[in-house]
This record gives sequence, structure tokens and C-alpha cells, in this order.
Amino acid sequence: MIKKVLIANRGEIAVRIIRACREIGIETVAVYSEADREALHTQLADEAICIGPAALSESYLSMERIISATIVSGADAIHPGFGFLSENSKFAELCEKCNITFIGPGSEVIAKLGNKQEARNIMAAAGVPVIPGTEEPIFDAKTGAKAAKKIGYPVMIKAALGGGGKGMRVADTPEEFELNFLTAQKEAEMAFGNNTMYIEHYVRHPRHVEFQILADSQGNVVHLGERDCSVQRNHQKMIEESPCCAISDELRQKMGRAAVKAAKAAGYVNAGTIEFLLEKNQQFYFMEMNTRIQVEHPVTEWVTGIDLVKEQIRIASGQPLGFRQKDIRISGHSIECRINAENPEKGFRPSPGTITDIYLPGGKGIRIDSAAYSGYTIPPYYDSMIAKLIVWAKNREEAIRKMQSALGEIIIEGINTNVDYQYEILNHPDFLTGNVDVEFIEKMEAGAAFEQ
Amino acid sequence: MKLDNMFKKTKHVSDVKNITKANTIQPEVPEGLLKKCNKCGKTIVAEDAKANYNICPKCGGYFRIHAYRRIAMLADEDSFEEWDPDLCSGNPMNYKGYEEKVESLQEKTGLKEAIVTGKIKIDGMECVLGVCDGRFLMASMGQAVGEKIARAVERATRERLPVILIACSGGARMQEGIVALMQMAKTAAALKKHSDAGLLYISLLTDPTTGGVTASFAMLGDIILAEPKALIGFAGPRVIEQTIRQKLPKGFQRSEFLLEHGFVDRIVERHEMKAVLAQILRLHCKADRPDSVLDKEAAENPEESIYVPESMELEAWERVQISRKNDRPVGSDYITSLFDDFIELHGDRGYGDDHAVIGGIASFCGQPVTVIAQAKGSNTKENIDRNFGMPSPEGYRKALRLIREAEKFQRPVICFVDTPGAFCGMEAEERGQGEAIARSIYELSSIQTPILSVIIGEGGSGGALALAVADEVWMLENAIYSILSPEGFASILWKDSTKAKEAAGVMKLTASDLYEENIIEQVIPEPSCFTRENLDEVAKPLKKRIRQFLDTYCNMSKEELTARRYERFRKM
Repeated sequence: MIKKVLIANRGEIAVRIIRACREIGIETVAVYSEADREALHTQLADEAICIGPAALSESYLSMERIISATIVSGADAIHPGFGFLSENSKFAELCEKCNITFIGPGSEVIAKLGNKQEARNIMAAAGVPVIPGTEEPIFDAKTGAKAAKKIGYPVMIKAALGGGGKGMRVADTPEEFELNFLTAQKEAEMAFGNNTMYIEHYVRHPRHVEFQILADSQGNVVHLGERDCSVQRNHQKMIEESPCCAISDELRQKMGRAAVKAAKAAGYVNAGTIEFLLEKNQQFYFMEMNTRIQVEHPVTEWVTGIDLVKEQIRIASGQPLGFRQKDIRISGHSIECRINAENPEKGFRPSPGTITDIYLPGGKGIRIDSAAYSGYTIPPYYDSMIAKLIVWAKNREEAIRKMQSALGEIIIEGINTNVDYQYEILNHPDFLTGNVDVEFIEKMEAGAAFEQ
Repeated sequence: MKLDNMFKKTKHVSDVKNITKANTIQPEVPEGLLKKCNKCGKTIVAEDAKANYNICPKCGGYFRIHAYRRIAMLADEDSFEEWDPDLCSGNPMNYKGYEEKVESLQEKTGLKEAIVTGKIKIDGMECVLGVCDGRFLMASMGQAVGEKIARAVERATRERLPVILIACSGGARMQEGIVALMQMAKTAAALKKHSDAGLLYISLLTDPTTGGVTASFAMLGDIILAEPKALIGFAGPRVIEQTIRQKLPKGFQRSEFLLEHGFVDRIVERHEMKAVLAQILRLHCKADRPDSVLDKEAAENPEESIYVPESMELEAWERVQISRKNDRPVGSDYITSLFDDFIELHGDRGYGDDHAVIGGIASFCGQPVTVIAQAKGSNTKENIDRNFGMPSPEGYRKALRLIREAEKFQRPVICFVDTPGAFCGMEAEERGQGEAIARSIYELSSIQTPILSVIIGEGGSGGALALAVADEVWMLENAIYSILSPEGFASILWKDSTKAKEAAGVMKLTASDLYEENIIEQVIPEPSCFTRENLDEVAKPLKKRIRQFLDTYCNMSKEELTARRYERFRKM
């Protein structure tokens, strides 16, 4: 059994993990960089070890230093949180070699799921739907058109060496295929000196819907329902909610079963998330599997009543899950807003600095996960997320009202935040009706610009 | 708000005894998993360094490599054949404890001596290889090391194979006394015979290469490569510091220092070492000249008659100005557009590496050639680095060194001349600018391999002639070639350097003048506004003409070649 956990992370997630450990009687060791001496996680843990200067490579990303700190402190497990080393298979492997329990899946599982192509192959083999596409490279439009017909329109034509949108074209119909193929291929040749192309089904206006799973080392896997994370800006999630208002109970069961199948196919143990793209026609496709606790885990915790971090520790200790799929009930509706130290008016540029005053709301159905406090100086070196505001109510409408009310109460002085921006989203007619997809923010910003 | 000691710690630690004794093994770092980099002091995962050519993943520092690992990095799979694996030294001085020391090292390392020799293939090309292993008495050279090198080199001479020796050594082996000293002469003598047989020796210097090894086989390569930041020197830095009672500057005696001082041809990173060695070997292979291709193409395109310049449309002074234009293609541009696989070699092996002269070997239509180019650089920063194309004595000495090597390996030489003149400065005089130019003219007159010089811009005086004692000299249409710059000419004869324009008019320095005077053989036409953008318009026909030149001169006997060259200047 785990007796002492070293938390290889910082910020609110480190605090979240320290609290969970304390509640189940496990001692905690924080690691911190020189820039985080005054950070909440440093102060809150039973012990804290400075592992180096502010630079990430010298501190939170330094595997050697974190392993050394673990040995020195006598901790027997590491919780990696999210980001940093959490999905680094080499780090997990090092832990295994040093007899340190890595709270997460095994290094081999992390490695294979971290490889996009391998993950896709595993899922396809297990019967989890993946975006249909050509297996073989395509060099000419005629072969391409045949493949496109088989895959189903619209299709995405993309260069094998593509990147940055270059050498990519969408074809909606067979009529426009040839021209778009040739254009993309030409572009690829100019940009990358290579005309190898692939074609895959293009998922238009998808929602980002992900399923939380828990898997123990005895082979039991359950899913804890989904999270809709479609509200994203530049691929950064901003708002997450559970359940997703666009899926029926039937579809939820179907996707949930696929998620469980995916986890089993990968030989997964611990908490994980299967990300799907959900098309308007209810078709869904496997995107990737995240092998860590997620930022947005609290919304799942609230609608299921299960503490995911505690479950992670139990599973890592070798204990079986204390519940089955039939015991999982989704009740009510939960929404999370990420509060970032950034300036939406200046292109969302990070806004580090000292929080001179802070007031965060409370009350029934409101949860704050944060590492901020009055007088805390946000260092410029790390992620700008300073708090997560999570609400729960018995349905989506009430949850939205609660979130609107809570956002309206937040006071953070001394730095810029995205609170007002979040408030705007929470009042946007499309958000209110649940009419969102991954391009929602883009469209909203374009609309605002148009009005001006 | 200060948070120091504000929070309560975990109070109720769960009772461990009650829980199954699943995890009774204490976390610990297994032996050998982590190690400390001896360069940056940081802890690293040992496997990471190993997977990265034994280079520290944190600081990029190079760790020493065991001989067999080095061989595995260079040799084609299963191509290594070891020679004399059991050869050992005796104890010539009966030095106390020496035999025991050697025995314990043999046991510890599995090596019999400090060097591994044998034959390998690199990209399919056979060569003889010797690799020092620093674990064995710092790979010092005793009788066995010297003997193994001598035997390997002798066998390479017999089998006509190139030799690669990878040095990593503290020097001669003290415990073997004077016998060890003699190994310096033994190895050097064997290499001399190998060289006299016209064979290639590549020396690779790794950290550290010092003492009697530096002062013998390590510094004798036709081509000397070094790994980055390797310590290379004769006397060790500590000995020097103690002797002169001064602290040595940072970087002293490192590879980069030796490159700057002209003793190393190239610094090569470990991950590209095999590719570079293969490229050098390939450029030294006795490939048949691809005559068939040339002949066939020539047959298909019957040659247009050699261009005879039309009546002068531009005045001489205008051509002088064109030849000096900033955006005119420079030596390095011709190298890129005319040759493949160019590998630059540096240094004069005596004082320094002059950036005003670029030299190296390359492939020209499949044929290995030596290329020398006076280099001006193409922007202000490069201009300064290359001293505006004004070579120093070490530039001419580097060129001569590479041309002599070309002679040894029977490679034709192609020179690109573009200089306002040899560098005129105190340092140049101190190091013998006049001697360097004279020596170059003197030696080039009898070098037994074809030499072609193309004047692409300015052909300024003796500084240009030093690289234009050739079988043929060609000029671009707007290049100039003269005894002195027009400014200098006006200043000496008319005591007025502002009369440069008039001077240009009387000096007969244009390509067409010189063609008529029989000073040059060919004039290469240029487009009206000649820049890097339209270099192809010149390079393509130039390439064709160079092929014709090689066709003619590579088929001549050495005697005919040098006799013609002698006559060429004799009649002027």
C-alpha cells in the first residue's frame, strides 16, 4: 500500500492531489522550483523539496531530479498530475525500474497510446470506430477519388508530411475532388518536396466528447459517462460539462461501451480518458486516449459522486474497483470554467503578477479548485490557469445560471483574467441552447468582430 | 499573506500494518540507471546517453567510447575483422607492478591491449581501422600499440587500403620507457610508406589526444578530423600551466582551437561521423572517369565554337567596376552550383585557417576533384570574415597543401580566382606573404595533375597568380586580371590614384585584351546583369567546358602535362 506520495506537479492539481492523499491518510511530498517557493502546493504538503531553478527542463520536467527527490524523501509513489511528465512513458519506466509506484498506467501502455498511429491501430482492431481513411499513400487523383468514394464525403485530403494547414484540402463532393486533390498535392510538393497524400473522412463541425474510464489491475473497467469539451480556443479547452446535452442515453451507452472496449484493448489500468469526435449525425470516432487525470475531472466527480484522484491511488495500490458499471449513476449537470491569468483583450497573452486581492464565490453546488491566494505571485514560467470554477445543479439550465452567478461574483485584483470572457460565453445564445461544436469560439469571436 | 507554516500537516496516517504486504520493496535507484555527466555535472539516465552516441543529453558533451562500441558505430554490420587480437607488450624496463596492472586491466576490460585494429567496411568500402580504448592505461602507446598500428598499416599498404586511426591517448607509455618512445618512429615510418604508395590515411582525434601520440601518427593524416571539444595537444595543459605559471585560456588545446590554428581539417559530430568518413572514402575511390557519359552527350550536342569576344561594348573601367560588384557571384556560389558532395578542408598545418580561401574535395560529374576558391563572401558579415577575399600566407599554404594532396591522389584541381590582391598587412608580412606566393607559383608549375584556373572576378596581381599557374586560365567576360589594381597602377606611375579610370584603359586587364595577348585560353560569356540569381546562365556552359578540359588533360601523361605547363609560361 502507498504510504507516501510525491506529487510531481504544481498549481491547483498538486493541491487537489495533496488534499486527496491527506483525506485517506497518506503523507505528501511536494516538489517545487525556485519560482514556486511561495506556491500553495509547496506550503500545503507535509514536506517540500526544491528540485531546481524555474526553467521547466531544470525542475518539473527533470526526471532525474524528481526520481532523486522521491528516493530522498522516502516516498513510495509518484502522482504525476497532468501535463509535465504525466504522459511520459520514459518517466513511468524509470519509476518502474526504481520500484516507485507511478500513479497511472504502465509505461508500455503510455508509450503505445502516445503513438497516434499505434493507438489508432489498436482501436481499429478492437472495433472502436476510428476516422476512416486510406492506409496506403495516394499519389494520383484517380486512385484518390476511388478511395474518397469508399471513405464517404466530405473528405480531407492531406499531405503525408503536412503541417500548419499546408497541403490540406477538404472536398465535399466527388465533383470538387480532383481539383482539390491536385491543389493540395501541388502545395505539398512546394512546401515539403513530397507529393505523398492521404485521404480521410472529414468530420465537419464535430463536438469534442470524451469518456472517463477507470480500470483496475484485476481487469475491471467502468466508464463514468462523458464530458463535452467543445468550447475550445486554439485547441485549449475553456469550458467542460457533464453530461453532454447532445447525446441520448442510448448513444451514451454505445459510446461508453466503445470507451470500455478501447481501454480493455489497450490493457489499460488506472484513470484514463477516451476522446471522441462526435459528428452531427451521431457518428463518433476515436481521437486519442489520455493516460492521466484530466483538468476537467471534477465535472465527472460531481455527476457520479466518485473521487477520481482517490480512485487513482487505490488502483495504483492494487485494490479492485469498489463498484461495477451498473452502480454508476449520472445525476444532475456539472459545468467547469477554467480561470486563467491572461488578457483576452490582448490576444489572451499571459498576465503573470501578484494577486493583490482575491474573492472567490462559494455556496451550494459551487466548487473551486485553485492554488491562488491573496498575495500570491503568479510566476511567468508556467501555465496560466489559476483556478477552476465548477458548479453542479440538477439540470443544465440551472447549472448555467449558477455558473453565471458565480462568475459574476469572482474578484481577482492585480492581474488580468478571462473571467469576463467566460461570462460572455455563458450568456451566448448558442451556448445556452447547447448548440456548440469545436469551432464555437472561433465563430463567436468572428461574430463579435462583425458586430463591431 | 504569507503562508509559511500556516497549514496543518497530515495527521491520520493510515495504519500500514493492516494492509496486505504487497509493496515491501523499498524504492531505490538500481545501479547504473543514472549517472553523472562529467562535463556538466548533471544527473542523466545512462541509457539516454548510450542511445545518443554516448553524448550527454543535457549538455551535449562527448563521453569517451570503448573501442568496440566505436567500431559498431562506424562499421557496416558484421564487417569488422579483427587483426592481432592477442598481441601484448612485455615489460622492457622491468617496471615494478606493470605486469600486474596490465593483467588486471585485461581482466576488467576484456581487452588485451589499448588498441583494437582490423579491417571494416564503411558503406561497402573496405578500410583498415585502429581504435584506441582509453580504459586501458589511457590508451598510452607502448610496444604492443605501436606494433599493432605498424602491422595494420603495413598490411593496408600491401592490400592497397585506406587507413583510419582513431586516437584517444595520453601519449607514449611511461612504463615501457624508451621502447615506447620508439613506437612514435615506428608508426610514423609505417604511415610514410603507406602514403608513398599513394594511399589515404584519415586520422580522427578524440578526447584526449596528447603527447607522443599527437606527435606521431595522430597528426600525420592526409585528412585530420576531430570530435568537438576534444583535448588535443602535445604537452598536457597542466604541465604547461605549471611550466609557464600562467592560467591557460578557455578552449585552449580543444578541437576548435586546433581548427582555428590550422591543424585540423574538420570537426565532425559523432552522429555524422560515419557519413563523413564514407564521403571522404568515396571521393578517394579510384573511380573510372565517366567518359562514356561525356562522350555520348558531346556527340549529341556538337560543340559550338569557342566564344570569341565581340568588339568591346564596355570600357575597361566599367568592367573593373562590374568585377567588383557586391551581388556578383563569389567563389562559394560556383562551388555549390558546379560540384556535388563538396567537403571543405581547413588549415595550413602550420599557423591557421584562412577564410579568404576555401578548399576541399568534391565530385565533378562523378569525378573526384580538388576545389580551391578565393572567397569574398556575399554579405558584409561574410566579407569581413573572409577579409574581402584577400588571402593571408596561410591561405596560400592551405591551398598548396590541398593541391599536393590532389597530386598524390591524382585528382585534377580547379581554382577560382577572385581577389583584389594578397592581404597587405603587418601580420601577413610577418608570416611571409611573399614566400607563400612564391612557393605556390613554384610548386604549381610542376604539380603532376591537371590544374584549371578560372578568374571569376578580380585577378589582383601576385595574389591571383599564386592560384593561376595552371594548364589553362579562363576568365569570365567581365573579370579582370592585372599586375596591380588600376588605383595602384595610377598611383605608382602617375602619382595619382584618382586616375584609376585612365589606368584601366591602358592596362590591358579585360578578358578580351588578355585573350588577344594569349595570357588566357578562354573567355566565358556573362549575361548583361550577372548576379547569383542568373548564375546558372554562366555555370551551365562553364560546367560543359570544364568537362572538356578534364577530358583533354586527364588523358595526358604527367610528363606531357608538366612540360606543356612549363612551356605555357616559358613563352610569355
